[in-house]
Amino acid sequence: MEGLWWLVLWGTVAGLDLVSLGQVMLGRPLVAGTVAGLLAGDPGAGAVVGVTLELFALDLLPVGGAQYPDYGPAAVAGAATAAGVPGVLGLGPAIAVALVTGYLGEQAVQIVRRGNAADVGRNRAGLDAGEVASLRRMQLHGMLRDAARALLMTLFGLALAALARSWLPLSLRGAVVVGTVAVGAALAVAATGALRLGGRGTARVWLAAGLVVGAAWVLAR
Amino acid sequence: MKRGMLAAWIRTLIVQASWNYDRMVGVGVAYAMEPLLRDLPGGRADGRYAGALKRVAGFFNAHPYLTGMAAGALARVEYERVPEPQADRLRRALIGPLGSVGDQLIWAGWLPLSVAVGLVVAVLATVPAGVVSFLGLYNVGHLALRSWGLAAGWRAGIGVAGELAGRWIHAGLRFGAAAAPFSIGVMLPLVGSWLLREFGGNERLEAAIVALLGLLVARVLVPTLSGVRLGLLLVVTALVAGWLWQ
Repeated sequence: MEGLWWLVLWGTVAGLDLVSLGQVMLGRPLVAGTVAGLLAGDPGAGAVVGVTLELFALDLLPVGGAQYPDYGPAAVAGAATAAGVPGVLGLGPAIAVALVTGYLGEQAVQIVRRGNAADVGRNRAGLDAGEVASLRRMQLHGMLRDAARALLMTLFGLALAALARSWLPLSLRGAVVVGTVAVGAALAVAATGALRLGGRGTARVWLAAGLVVGAAWVLAR
Repeated sequence: MKRGMLAAWIRTLIVQASWNYDRMVGVGVAYAMEPLLRDLPGGRADGRYAGALKRVAGFFNAHPYLTGMAAGALARVEYERVPEPQADRLRRALIGPLGSVGDQLIWAGWLPLSVAVGLVVAVLATVPAGVVSFLGLYNVGHLALRSWGLAAGWRAGIGVAGELAGRWIHAGLRFGAAAAPFSIGVMLPLVGSWLLREFGGNERLEAAIVALLGLLVARVLVPTLSGVRLGLLLVVTALVAGWLWQ
């Protein structure tokens, strides 16, 4: 796999950006997938995977303590799956690999949060005394824990990508069908997210107006 | 500028590193606020220094980009020698507004708007241009909000609620409530047609059927089904079908 270690590094950074470091949206699939495509030597494949996964990511708002998939390492794994595969044939397997990785990333975030809660217990005396050393230790340990999670999720995703590329027995027609379903599913999820975002009151009118403008734009092109 | 502001701002970038269900973002906010407390009259030996850190490191929640506002305001009240029970009431009172305003302003407004703009640029120009547009647009708003929040919290102290009820916050909320759904609406048909451009007519029809079926499942039949689970269900089913269809 071309650029393997760069992909591992990029996936880890994208995973850390989800919650622990910056939240500057490097972990959004559009960004993570496009950059991963460049690193894997196939910018076009990374771009298509990134755009498709971005539609999945529109499903939810990461409010409060909500649980949400980690699409950063997932997009990296998806781009690595599709890299070098001609046309749209790699898209379906790439989205399957990415969704599995993203879903497991969601579960892994809960493990990190439970680890952080256990850290509160270990540092309770220091926190109750207002010691800055305890605060620093908790922040550092939390970040390291999340970095380890992001690294493991990236390694898992890339291993799954390698497995899919070498083993997945799909015919030409089968690969096109899976790609078609992946795009359809992405549109369904994005539409569901859009209705959740703009499904009430005047927001619904704005959403409908946007859809009309977007459809007219497509027809006019 | 108050000494320690830059350090506090940088620390807000890792405010969620120790996020947990017991104290949520409390430890992170206390850590971000600490540089602002170093100039208290008695320094670190001042009882209010440790007292403030202990209080804030308890349960606290807020939108991450607005945690600086809490850190600034809660540090300021220590300098103003506001009685501890009142400072603690302020801390508890900030939890709701800083969460809901931030969620509406950013997660339900600025983020979907920026994503939609990035995707539209990606399909009309190039994907790298879309990535740069998205990151640039989003982070101008993001970093401005973090900076404003910290400065406003420090400036207002106990009166921080007035800053949060300011005119531009209301304008931002109104703008986001209209611009986000509109831009998502514009983006969906454009991105859909771009993704399907290399597929044949039959595949486009199949994708539309899958999209409608998925929408029906997610909106009507199983509204609690998350996007990633719906996607897994559909794509893995297609993978198995594609595998068998050799």
